[in-house]
Amino acid sequence: MTRAEFLTRLKRGLAGLPASSIADIVADYEAHFAEGLEAGRTEAEVAAALGDPDRLAREQRAEQGVKRWEEAKNPSAAAGAIFAVIGLGAIDILVLLPLLMGVLGGLFGFFMGAIGIFVGGGVVFAAGPFAAPPGGPGTAILAGVGLMAGGVCLAAVTTLVTIGLVNALVWYGRLHYRLLKPAIETQV
Amino acid sequence: MTETIEIQLKKGVLALCVLALLSRADSYAYEIASKLAKDIDMGEGTIYPLMRRMQSDGLVETYLVESQSGPPRKYYRLTDTGRASFEAQKAEWAAFTAAVEDILGAAA
Repeated sequence: MTRAEFLTRLKRGLAGLPASSIADIVADYEAHFAEGLEAGRTEAEVAAALGDPDRLAREQRAEQGVKRWEEAKNPSAAAGAIFAVIGLGAIDILVLLPLLMGVLGGLFGFFMGAIGIFVGGGVVFAAGPFAAPPGGPGTAILAGVGLMAGGVCLAAVTTLVTIGLVNALVWYGRLHYRLLKPAIETQV
Repeated sequence: MTETIEIQLKKGVLALCVLALLSRADSYAYEIASKLAKDIDMGEGTIYPLMRRMQSDGLVETYLVESQSGPPRKYYRLTDTGRASFEAQKAEWAAFTAAVEDILGAAA
């Protein structure tokens, strides 16, 4: 593999990352080629020693995805981190998918439930006092506030559980990806 | 299975080795990679995702040094956190290898 081929495959693998990150990463490998050539190695030797560019691109993407997730705990960063880690092949997608779907479905259900309770609480709070409830209007208002608080609480707990799960997945993926697999073996 | 154990072992020590090299002297990625590739059998390209991760974990920081030939080199140096992490990992490593050697010795 020539230097140009290596860099083209690397860039193709990195497509979709922010331009500045791609430039940073590519510059690292370009510098590596420059150093290698100066030390008297051929382009092919340097490329072979570097490793499989597709694999390296996936590792860099995963690193970026995890970094984004660590910086901002939002759903898109979570999805990015999960897909990047899955992309490493560290986690068998066929084993994981049904499990992941189940867990995501469960969490989604909890979120919906939390919203339902919150809305229900709002209705009780707003309409209850006019429906002549047992215990008087004050009770209905308090019950409404209580239900809304319960909904918020459930949503918060679900969020914490979700964050914990994504962290666990990322940790597992990082632990298991084959960082050291040399190029020569993965290319055959 | 043996392959997996070997990979896990090497991966575990790779970060420690990089910290060790940097604790002796600041260095740039090519130099780190060629030292480690020779001694531990690893793809040289592996060093870059690792350095990036160590940087985002705050263990190392970079600075540029002009070189006589070509563009400036990106040097890595340990941060205080990195140094502390190295000392802690080194102690763990020593305790762990001593324990394993004890057991291997007893088995022989």
